[in-house]
Amino acid sequence: MSKPPSRTCTRDFPGTVEAASDAENWVAGQASALGLGQEAEFAINLCLEELFLNAVQHGHANRTSISVCAEADGVTVEFADDGEPFDPTLAPAKRINGPTDDFDIGGYGTGLMQKFSRSMSYRRFEGMNRLVLEF
Amino acid sequence: MRMDMKVIPADDEITHVVLDGRFDIQGAQEVDSRFDELAKSSKALVVDLAKVSFLASLGIRTLMLSAKTLIRRGGEMAVCGADENVEKVLRTTGFNEVAGIYPDYESAARTLRERLAAFSGKKP
Repeated sequence: MSKPPSRTCTRDFPGTVEAASDAENWVAGQASALGLGQEAEFAINLCLEELFLNAVQHGHANRTSISVCAEADGVTVEFADDGEPFDPTLAPAKRINGPTDDFDIGGYGTGLMQKFSRSMSYRRFEGMNRLVLEF
Repeated sequence: MRMDMKVIPADDEITHVVLDGRFDIQGAQEVDSRFDELAKSSKALVVDLAKVSFLASLGIRTLMLSAKTLIRRGGEMAVCGADENVEKVLRTTGFNEVAGIYPDYESAARTLRERLAAFSGKKP
């Protein structure tokens, strides 16, 4: 019996916060075409929002590219941006530990991406950050 | 509109906020300023997430900022009704360490009333 073909969708987005919102809408729109389940769609969008905001707000990226590949045994997403070099696999996962009124209101993205993806791998190639996430 | 937000003043202590939609970048931007006003004026806030299908970075920031503002004013915050994925996001960040997570509005409101009464020395 032959393996079902993989399905891939790729799209470029400008490096703006508005485009991050467009990217989320795009992934949501591709979900049924790619056969993504609700849980996978949630996890992918969660990671993409974090990556997009990091690339735009901290990395000052001008352009980004998202590729989603759905296969029988899972989904692979590559997020590429031309921002400053940043390897999220090396960033510590932050969490509020214990009751306090002195906590950060942001910076939890790395921990969330680790929790919601099966694996993350990073490389810097041809001036682009390239992060591959498996779900 | 990405996110619908209804504010129900349940009584003089608890403000019940019902969200309906996606708490993504656009959704968070739509409700941010109203959350900020409520956090600065309410005694206790129960945020009902039963109809929230997605929560990510900026939505968490909105909830975290409200919780921080309320706690520093001596107030309380809780969320209720979150589905499995939304609750997983909240627990992964440790949000549950600063605001309670409850299955429904009634249990959240009851606990917050008891806590407010304990702080003020009154019977709930």
